[in-house]
Amino acid sequence: MSRHLPAFLIMTPMLGAFLSPLAVMLGRTARNAVLVLFSLATLVISLGIVSATMGGNVLVYVMGGESYTLTMPSGMAYPVRIMFEIDGFNALMILCVAAATFAGALFSVAYMDRFSGWKRYMSLYFMMATGALGMCATGDLFNFFVFVEVSSIASFGLVAFWRDKPEAIEASFKYMLVSQIAAMLLLIALGALYGKYNALNMAAIASMARGGTLDKIVLALFVIVLAFKCGAFPMHTWMPDAYAEAPAGVTCLLVTVSQASFYGLIRICFSIFPGVGGAVVPWILIVLGCASMFFGVMMAVVQHEIKRLMGYHSISQVGYMLMAMGVGLLAAGGAEGVYGFKAMTGGIFHMVNYSVYKALLFLCAGALYYATGTRDLDRMGGLVRSMPWTAGMFVIAAAAISGLPPFNGFISKWMIYESSFAVHPALTAIAMITSVLTLASFAKVFQAAFLGPAKAALSGVREVPCAMLAGMAALTLFILLLTLFPSWFTSRLFDNAAHALLNHQGYVSAVMGGV
Amino acid sequence: MWTQLNSGAGYWNVFVWLLFFAGMSCLVLWLRSFGRHDYMRNTLQDDIYWSGNEVPEDGAKISVPASASYWGFRVAAAPVYAFLDRLHNGSASDYAGYFVVTAALIGALVLAGGR
Amino acid sequence: MTDSSVKAIAKVMDSVGDSAYVVVALIVLMALYAMLTQKNLLKVSIAISVMCSSVNMFLVLLGYRAGGNIPIHFLKGDESALMVLPTPQCLTLTAIVIGLATTALMLSLIVMLRKHYGTLDIDEIRRLRG
Repeated sequence: MSRHLPAFLIMTPMLGAFLSPLAVMLGRTARNAVLVLFSLATLVISLGIVSATMGGNVLVYVMGGESYTLTMPSGMAYPVRIMFEIDGFNALMILCVAAATFAGALFSVAYMDRFSGWKRYMSLYFMMATGALGMCATGDLFNFFVFVEVSSIASFGLVAFWRDKPEAIEASFKYMLVSQIAAMLLLIALGALYGKYNALNMAAIASMARGGTLDKIVLALFVIVLAFKCGAFPMHTWMPDAYAEAPAGVTCLLVTVSQASFYGLIRICFSIFPGVGGAVVPWILIVLGCASMFFGVMMAVVQHEIKRLMGYHSISQVGYMLMAMGVGLLAAGGAEGVYGFKAMTGGIFHMVNYSVYKALLFLCAGALYYATGTRDLDRMGGLVRSMPWTAGMFVIAAAAISGLPPFNGFISKWMIYESSFAVHPALTAIAMITSVLTLASFAKVFQAAFLGPAKAALSGVREVPCAMLAGMAALTLFILLLTLFPSWFTSRLFDNAAHALLNHQGYVSAVMGGV
Repeated sequence: MWTQLNSGAGYWNVFVWLLFFAGMSCLVLWLRSFGRHDYMRNTLQDDIYWSGNEVPEDGAKISVPASASYWGFRVAAAPVYAFLDRLHNGSASDYAGYFVVTAALIGALVLAGGR
Repeated sequence: MTDSSVKAIAKVMDSVGDSAYVVVALIVLMALYAMLTQKNLLKVSIAISVMCSSVNMFLVLLGYRAGGNIPIHFLKGDESALMVLPTPQCLTLTAIVIGLATTALMLSLIVMLRKHYGTLDIDEIRRLRG
């Protein structure tokens, strides 16, 4: 049973997607039960996968073969079947995606209650989760493309879910236009790889790729497409639009889809094409990261629409991760591995932190929108009296994202500062300025939304329903755990994930056998 | 230990911080105890002083809107914001253009690099 | 397909050689150019479709072997006949389906944009900026 977890991971949300229209017809209770139970089941399965990959294990699952462990049928030079390959790094990403899916589902139960269109909403929600989980789990490049498209198409639909609002349609269209160009470039890269190596399996290509012009072109295409998908600076413009216009539960999941793209980027740079392109690729990641950090937060400081502001913060947070992984990749190629390993652990820690507190912040913004009916900070004020729970959880999340000392955000940023300082002090300076500006903009949000005199227009505002608070509380609890026991998480999960990324040979031999 | 994190150059322990916060809270409460006790609620002492004018009923009239905060920062960094506003001009074909130009740039850089 | 037509196609493809890839690259560039310069949303969506088709052509071309027959093992006749590669054709089928879905979704979004904004000009649909 436990060996089949990778298959169940995809099956559960997909079954949920196709059961949803039926459940919606059966009434509210059935609908809510399906939404919560299927996302909870996905979370439980992902916890099982995390525990199975602890200690450097690699799970391989072959689809449609006579046996799910038979990666190389006799007489074959390359693995021909689609397979899932999950090591410590994927497992952590899968956990992040599943946790955000669960929190978003709990939140949606009450948040979307007053809207129609539940059949479409739930189906697309589960399809998007399936796509993001598949992107994290798959070991086949074409399968990766298919999952990218599954999650993208579902997210276009969900961003435009409130189709009576012109802005929602506009955001969805802009996202879609650039996304389609990116998807086509991804397909060209895949085709070129197939033409050269006759294989699409990630591990098989990793065992053969030794550099050369074609490999470099393909790597550049992958880097650009996935950097676009996770929102790196010059190509980030879709991100604040889409994040602001989607319903809050969906935004929470959009964050994890961008994380899954980030996973793809890192997997391709570290495991499939290690060392291809020399020092250029890590420096591209570092420069993209610095630009995203700085310009993202500069735009965030001056926004006055709460979800748009947070969308710009997502860009700057992705910048931290890109920079940390760039530093790690730079060090993995050279001789000094100590600070590189720390950078990677810090980057992975930050990735987990980011998906947790960003999801929480978007849910808080959704709660504010639900209670007040506006996303404009100019029209909010004095809400701490009527919404104390939301305010409290917002403070925790805001302190964590700004890197205030007792919280988890500081720990990961501290690891990134220390390691990036070894590469160049300017990187650390940019990261610290970004952190200060992040704090400044969240101080503004807190002051504008929660503090100040009570406004007459908001006199009828009440605290949001319990189901929404429960979704937020689950994430707050996770933040507090990461804050109080960072060492437990680091030694069990993050170090394991960083080792898995650096262990290129292990990734290959899990599929190709002892090479 | 589940709470202590060593980085090689130093260590991080959240409970040291919590201890520090507890100590500081005691200090703050001790200082606060020097305050005046003859303050009375719901009297004139409680009223807002608004430059001698009558305080409006609606809080919206006396609060600073969020878009007005950090005005000085925006003015000081005006060149950066001029650039950023031009970048985020809302035109979908420009956004596609940024993607294509960046793709070409990164492709050229990677091709020019080693291996 | 008859034997003579296979041979005729093989002859043409031999004389074309790798320049078929140049044609694909040209179509991709044309689609990109149209996407960046056209202001009408419908024309932009046509450019996206053209790009999808050109990428599909690229995939089919990758699997082509000069003189190859359709990749089915149970055909009557020569058992050792040269086949074109089957995998890129599967990829193409999947890519066509995905392209169809996105084109349909994009057209429906364009219809709704037209209803909301009253225009198909891409430069006038920019309420989200800054």
